[in-house]
Amino acid sequence: MTRSWNTMEDFEAFLNDGGIVEVDDAMPEDYRKAVFTFIEMHANSELMGGLTERDWIPKTPGLRHKMSVLAKTQDEIGHGHLLYMVAADMGIKTRTEMLEDLFAGKSRFHNVFHYKAETWGDQVAIAFLVDAAALASQQAVFKNCSYGPYRRILKRIISEEGFHMRLGEDRMMRIANGTDLQRELFQGALDRWFWPSLQLFGPDSKPGDLLLRWHIKSERNEVLRDRWVQKFVPLLQSYGFSVPCPDLTQDEDGRWDVGPIDWEPLKATLAQGGPDSKRRIEQAARNWERTQWVRTAMDELAVPA
Amino acid sequence: MIYEVFLKKDGRDEYRHAGALEAANDELALVLARESYLRRAEGSRLWLARRDHIIEGGTDFVAPNADKPHRHHDGQAVAAHRKQVREDRS
Repeated sequence: MTRSWNTMEDFEAFLNDGGIVEVDDAMPEDYRKAVFTFIEMHANSELMGGLTERDWIPKTPGLRHKMSVLAKTQDEIGHGHLLYMVAADMGIKTRTEMLEDLFAGKSRFHNVFHYKAETWGDQVAIAFLVDAAALASQQAVFKNCSYGPYRRILKRIISEEGFHMRLGEDRMMRIANGTDLQRELFQGALDRWFWPSLQLFGPDSKPGDLLLRWHIKSERNEVLRDRWVQKFVPLLQSYGFSVPCPDLTQDEDGRWDVGPIDWEPLKATLAQGGPDSKRRIEQAARNWERTQWVRTAMDELAVPA
Repeated sequence: MIYEVFLKKDGRDEYRHAGALEAANDELALVLARESYLRRAEGSRLWLARRDHIIEGGTDFVAPNADKPHRHHDGQAVAAHRKQVREDRS
């Protein structure tokens, strides 16, 4: 242990002064747990997102798109690897324990991966809307993150998520310039994915939010969510699609308001009760079992000759 | 033995390779590293790795990843669309 703090006040003063915590510091246990839980959920989400993406490799239309879906799947699984390592280094759970908890339905992952991707349009909507929302959240963490190992890994993840978002918008633009059938396909996907994407930011941050207080998050959920709305409502409209908000209004300054947000669907996903939660977790657990032979072979390989 | 020296400043930076040194053992290598690479607190943390413990992936091994255009997207068409939208509004 290189550094320690006598009291939480000292530790918070260190954080408020721009201090960065490293893995071998004697950080307060509450901070360790909160940061670990946050990173574990991020890692789980990358893995579950990668598995969804993987499902679409055989179904993706055209070689060009297929290759980009392959690249994106590899990126997401890679992010999972990077993040599970950062989380495991915190000494609370091993990587295997985190994976086993995830496949047993005991851990959380982002709401958006509790829904079913029905068509190629859904994949495009995910790459554009969901990746943009995830990217905005990650950038807000990167900006002021007090936990050094997470911050350094985020730098790399963010640059790759930017690639996913550019892909998503490019695919959407091709669809927007395509046939009526293509536009209908995407509008259907947008109707399904707009609200879950917006809910990804979560309900308004509570006044005593510890992740804000400890400089993990740098912005309140409602601020990030509103920024996403102001950017994506006009952007979607510019491609000729309509935003599925019955109460959508725009004030004199041009600011958009999506109206009241129903948080029940988000709560359901947090309790693994989303529309596709059960199938997703079961499928991931089956993959884990089916690939046991690979892990066994690796372990045997690792024994020195 | 030859050691590779990595230094980290406090805060946001990662460990960075600073150079190498030769010493009889780990303990002497640490002292020599401190006295030659950290004379003016160029870092607050120090890693030494024995050169013969470093596993190197050579340029030939890394090269295939320089030829994967599908892992990139320049976003030019999208940027042109966004620019057009901004111009139409103003």
